[in-house]
Amino acid sequence: MQVRWLLSAGVGATVVAQAAYAVQYMTVEQAQQAAFAQGSRFVPVAATIDTSALGAPSGWMPLVWRVQRDAETIGWFFEDAVIGKSELITYALALDASGKVTSLEVLEYRESHGGEVRLAGWRNQFTGKTAADAVALDRDIRNISGATLSCRHLTEGVHRLLQLYTHVLAAKP
Amino acid sequence: MSSVRRARPWLGTLVDIRVDGMESTSALRAIDAAFAEVAMVHRLMSFHSDDSDLARLHNARTGTCVRVNARTGEVLDWALRVAAASDGAFDPAVAAAQVARGALPVPRSTFVPDADASWRDIELPGGEHVRLRRPLWIDLGGIAKGYAVDRAIEVLRAHGAIDACVNAGGDLRVAGALVERVHVRDARGGIAAELELSDGAVATSGCASAHRDGASRRAAEPEITVSVVAPRCMVADALTKVVLARGDAARAVLAGFAAQAWTHRAAHGWRQLDRVA
Repeated sequence: MQVRWLLSAGVGATVVAQAAYAVQYMTVEQAQQAAFAQGSRFVPVAATIDTSALGAPSGWMPLVWRVQRDAETIGWFFEDAVIGKSELITYALALDASGKVTSLEVLEYRESHGGEVRLAGWRNQFTGKTAADAVALDRDIRNISGATLSCRHLTEGVHRLLQLYTHVLAAKP
Repeated sequence: MSSVRRARPWLGTLVDIRVDGMESTSALRAIDAAFAEVAMVHRLMSFHSDDSDLARLHNARTGTCVRVNARTGEVLDWALRVAAASDGAFDPAVAAAQVARGALPVPRSTFVPDADASWRDIELPGGEHVRLRRPLWIDLGGIAKGYAVDRAIEVLRAHGAIDACVNAGGDLRVAGALVERVHVRDARGGIAAELELSDGAVATSGCASAHRDGASRRAAEPEITVSVVAPRCMVADALTKVVLARGDAARAVLAGFAAQAWTHRAAHGWRQLDRVA
């Protein structure tokens, strides 16, 4: 075991950087390929979502694909995003034909600038952004140890997608 | 040769697993197996769920020997070692007090826990059996995450990975020849320091409020952040709670586990706990 503390200890040595932590783990295509066998077709579904009925925040717009092999539906694939107090997580969920979760992968994790979060402004910077847009990220930050990252919002997001499946998608012919 | 990195939600946080220098199909297989192991630890040691090993202990007659998974036995064994070394500053048996404060949900249990029970009332007759001498609730929240990280590293190695890094919400372990730069957060969420780590683990406990000394039940000093570096993540994880509770008095305990600690207070910045001479 070897450790080197890069900050000299002492009064005043507090905040080193106000940089944002972000990791891109997978692309949507990679997540689709990992979740379903080769030769599967991903057919976009334009689901009309009554967000209030599903207890979802207004403006919630997950992307939905019906996964087919030949003419048979073999599952469902979703891309969704959740926003927490200081993080934005995009993730992919795959269900089999009976609605059972077969995979859940984080696609991208982005964090705000240090402790300097002003919620509205920070949220706005994500509006309409894709993974390719730079949001003043510090690519050098690969690992964070500290305040535990919560996955509560992610868990809630998955729950909403399962509701969407049950009440909207599974009901479709 | 590439770097393959994946993240999935487990243990109430995001678990991030990275393998470097391995062909990607093999790396993905190793990472999948490591996540399966993390999921197993999650299921066995969950305080909330009704079918974990802990739930079975909380629903057994006091004094009977309960069979648990070897992993649960191993974590309990280490939890008791840290509890003994810290004279109960770290105590996995005080979950009832946390439930009373609302820090943990009320578990399904057939008994009312004894307020005077402690880690001394947990007996481990062999690696896969546990006996509670008094009615008590066990919470492994302060150590199981670190253990899951250690297990993930072991599974990655068993699948041929050499250079790997696993991070479960700040409980992080690095293996192989990697030298990882880790940014450490302070209690308010700002990035407060950096360290370079190889072949070892770091865990950080922030503490705005909740942590309590297992023995005295006093709340730790607010707005303090503790990072502990140790060979195993499980030990680093548990020792952060000892330092939070005991401050400088934790020095001897750290030395016993080949660990080092740094503390951060808003007023003083970072400081390494003095080593024992």
